[in-house]
This record gives sequence, structure tokens and C-alpha cells, in this order.
Amino acid sequence: MNAFANHLTYDFKTGIRDKSKLLMFYLFPLVFFFIAGGLMASVNPGFKQTMLAGMVLFAFMCAALLTMPTLLVTARESGVFRSYRINGVPAASILSIPAMSTSVHMALVSILICVAGIAVFGATAPTNVGGFVVAAILGYLTYASIGILVGVASSNNTLSTLICQLIYIPSIILGGITVPVSVLPPTLQRVALLLPSTHCMRVFASLGGSGATGVPWLSIGVLVASILLTFLLSSLLFEWDARSSAPSKKAWWALLAIAPYAIAVVIGG
Amino acid sequence: MSEEVVTVRGFRKTYGETVAVNDISFSVRRGEIFALLGPNGSGKTSTLESLEGIRRPDGGVLRIAGIDPQRQRRKLCSLIGVQLQTSALPPAMTVEETMRFFSSYHGVAPRYDLIERLGLSEKRSLQYGKLSVGQQRRLSLALAVAHRPQVLFLDEPTAGLDVQSRVDLHALALELREQGVTIILATHDMAEAEKLSDRAAILLHGQIVKMGSPRQITAAGDGRTRISISSEAGALLSGAPSFPGVTAQDPRDGYAVYLSESPGPAVMAILSWLESAADPLVDLRVERPSLEERFLEITTAPATKGEAL
Repeated sequence: MNAFANHLTYDFKTGIRDKSKLLMFYLFPLVFFFIAGGLMASVNPGFKQTMLAGMVLFAFMCAALLTMPTLLVTARESGVFRSYRINGVPAASILSIPAMSTSVHMALVSILICVAGIAVFGATAPTNVGGFVVAAILGYLTYASIGILVGVASSNNTLSTLICQLIYIPSIILGGITVPVSVLPPTLQRVALLLPSTHCMRVFASLGGSGATGVPWLSIGVLVASILLTFLLSSLLFEWDARSSAPSKKAWWALLAIAPYAIAVVIGG
Repeated sequence: MSEEVVTVRGFRKTYGETVAVNDISFSVRRGEIFALLGPNGSGKTSTLESLEGIRRPDGGVLRIAGIDPQRQRRKLCSLIGVQLQTSALPPAMTVEETMRFFSSYHGVAPRYDLIERLGLSEKRSLQYGKLSVGQQRRLSLALAVAHRPQVLFLDEPTAGLDVQSRVDLHALALELREQGVTIILATHDMAEAEKLSDRAAILLHGQIVKMGSPRQITAAGDGRTRISISSEAGALLSGAPSFPGVTAQDPRDGYAVYLSESPGPAVMAILSWLESAADPLVDLRVERPSLEERFLEITTAPATKGEAL
């Protein structure tokens, strides 16, 4: 087995072996799904239309935003990356393998959510399964790339958690995961365009065939640009060694990742 | 043992306005164990990490087997093995997985024999985070040598190890030297440096203040040998005359203690006096200054510019 495959296998295994990963990859999103799914479906029957996409995105956020940055910061600050560097582990592996191994866990969780959502809560099944899968892949890559960039750019876990919460909480409230963006006041609808989940939900609705008409090219463009830009920024800002307490000046370049979303706000929905 | 494997020439490293290492030069030959000694902040780690390619030097020339550590990192990885002072590996990785993981990146077969050799065979399926500090350091050493490097960097290799593990590690280091591996050792343990190293450099304030074999370094001190004598009646403790060329020190543990630049005549004179005092000799010890004593003498004295022996 070559080094990359070996590394990927190991990283996948720790998703089950490591209790914090197990919690954030499986238990937390699934428990939230069963509670929120039951509650929201009974309070708002319209939620059934977006339940699968919303809960799948929620699971992606738990893994990519609430877990991945912390793991990256901890590994760098504790010197794991330094051991990697000495032993010839390339930076590209460090940045790509967590996203790749987590994608397998997310695929499993997504299947569970979709099957249970339809069977238990009567969620609307996607009419275009292939399109739904493409939207899920786009959504996962968006959050994974953001999570990696936050981990790379943050000097400590307090900062990474703060940044991720700034994306995570508004995404749940304003980003269409629990409440459709269309019911928000026009100003908040504009603000919601700053959130990846707003664009992901549009893509799910369109490609998955759950009611929306027309392809949301703006949202697809924003997500693709976001993925490319964040991966590029991550590779440029990546550092092997623990940082001093002062934040790195070049970390501010990470804010460029907001650009595609800011452009979407300017252009409008 | 003549081929030069590690070359450091005019090396300088700064952090902002702080000069950590200032114009040091040394070379290490194949199969040699070279110790870098010095108090905290003397520049040992900066020197080691620059040689390992982790830090960028601000001046001078560094070469490992002719390779520039900064420019040829990929080649460097296969040439060097590094046991870091604070080993950090993924906590959820088992001992066996760790060996397989790093071996695969080096493109070599996993060396499970080293796991056994370093007393970790019963811990093969235990996660790194659950190992004791000593076990983590032994694993770190196993990983450092698994790909059969030409140059091995050991940073405080025996910190946190029990006595048996230290003995095992010293035996492994000496065995590797026999196989032609060059070892650069940074340690605070002077006894370890004295036992293992062929040559040592003492760093102080970023400069080499003394370099040579441990014997040469200790011999270059004030040159006085310690003579400790105990006798049945303790006559030396209670009223001995002063002996020529001998400085009496405070008695220690029932021993009369003297320092002398000419231990032979001094011992003869003291034994003659004891005989005349009809006080039979119980124990006599003649000790040259240890590397530790010499180190303390150098590092507590006003700084002197490097002096190679």
C-alpha cells in the first residue's frame, strides 16, 4: 500500500476510533436530525421538502466546521506536522486527506439521514437522486475547504471555534437549513447570500428536484469559486510549525475567501 | 571515520533582533557521535533544527552529506532520522500503525524488529496517546532509525526514560555508530555525553566556547585532579599538615578531599603522612574532573570566544 493510501486509511479509521470525531461525525448530527426532524416536521410541514438537504448540510457543518479546524490547529500546535515534515509527509496530504476520509463518513451519515428521513418523518425524496448527490458533493467540498482554511489560518483553537461559529450559527438560522430563506425579510435574504448554506440549499433544491425551477448558476458559481479559492489559500497559508501567540499577519489573507459570497450579495439573488 | 558528513560553516540564526546562533562552525565525520552541549537558550536547538531543514539559517553554510537542508528537503528526509525533544505523533495512531505510516512515507518496509528491540512489542496495538512518556520517546527513536538514515539527530534522547531504557538506548546508539551512522546528540545529561560522544561542542550565547573529545574538554579545565581519602582514625580530617602543591577542600562524607595539579606526588605525600600517623588507609579515590564539572566551569565563567581542541 502506498503512503497516500496508507495515510487515508489511517485517517478514516480514526473517524471511528477517535471519540470526539465519532461524536461530531455521527452522533451529534444524527441526534440533532432525529430531534429537529420530528419537531420541525410536525410544526412546519413545509420543512419535509427541505429536510434531507438541510440535515445533510448540518452534518457536513458538524464535521467540517466544528471538527476539522480544531484537529488541524491541534496537530500543528502540538508538533504533529513537524514530525510529518521531518518524515517527508507532504503538505498536500495533510490538507487533502482529512477532507477525503471525512467525505466517506459524511456519505454514510447522509445515506442514514436520507433513508431515515423518508421512512420515519416522511421527508420529500429527491426526484433526481444523481442531482442530489452532485449537490451534496458540492456542499461537502464547500464546507470541507472552509474548515481546512480556518484550521490553517487560525493561530489557536479559540480563534478557529469563533470563526466557525460565525458561519455555523447564522447558517442554521438564516441559511435555509431550518427555515426557508424565502420567508426572511428582503434585507436578511441579501445577508443570507453571505452564507454557504444559502447557496447549497438552492443547489440542492434545483439539482435534487425538490420544487425549485431553473439552475441557480450564481450559487453554483459562488460555491465552485469558494472551493477553489479556499483550497488555494489553504495551500498558500499552510505552516508546519506552532505559531507564537501573535496571529500571523498573512493569515488575514484568508478573509479573501469571503469574496465570492460578497460578490453574490452585491449581484443579488 | 574520515568522511565529513555534516558541515556547519559560519552558521548564523536570528529571531528578530535576538541572535540565537552567531557564526559557528564545526564538522562531523561518518560514524562519529557528536554532542551539542549548552544551557537552555544557547543555540543547540536552533542549530539542530536548521540542520534538519526545519528552520531557515540567516547566514553560513549547512550541509548534510553534501545536501543543502533547505533546498533539497526530499533527499534530506531519506538521509536523516530525527528524534525530536518533544515527540508529537497523532494520538489515535497505534504503535504498529505509526511504524507502518512513517515507513510508507520513507518508502521502506516497516521495521517491527525495532519495536521489539525497544521494548514496545506488547504495546503494538496501543494508541500513541496512551503510551507513557518513556514509551513515546522509544517509539520516536524507533521511527527515527527505521529507514536506516545516514545521520541521526537525537534531542534529549533519554529525557523521561527509566534506567534500563537509557542503557538500551545507549547500546543502540553505539551499535548505530558501529554501522557508520553519524549521530548528533543534544543533551543536558553530561554523563550521557561523556559516555557516548566522540566529540562535543559546548555552546554558550550562540557561540562555540569549547570543542573536542570529552577527555580533551575536561583536561582543558583548571587541570586539577580531585583526591579523596578516608582512613580508619580520620587523622587527615583532624590535624593534617598542608601538603605542597595540594589544596585542601572541605571534607565530604568522611573523606578528606584535596585538589592537585600533580596527583602522583600529592598522593605519595599524603599516604606517607598517614603511615607516619599510624592511621591505616580505608579508601583512596583519584578522579579527574567530570564533563559536568567542566561544563559548569565553562558556562558559569565569563564568555570566551570559541576554542577548538
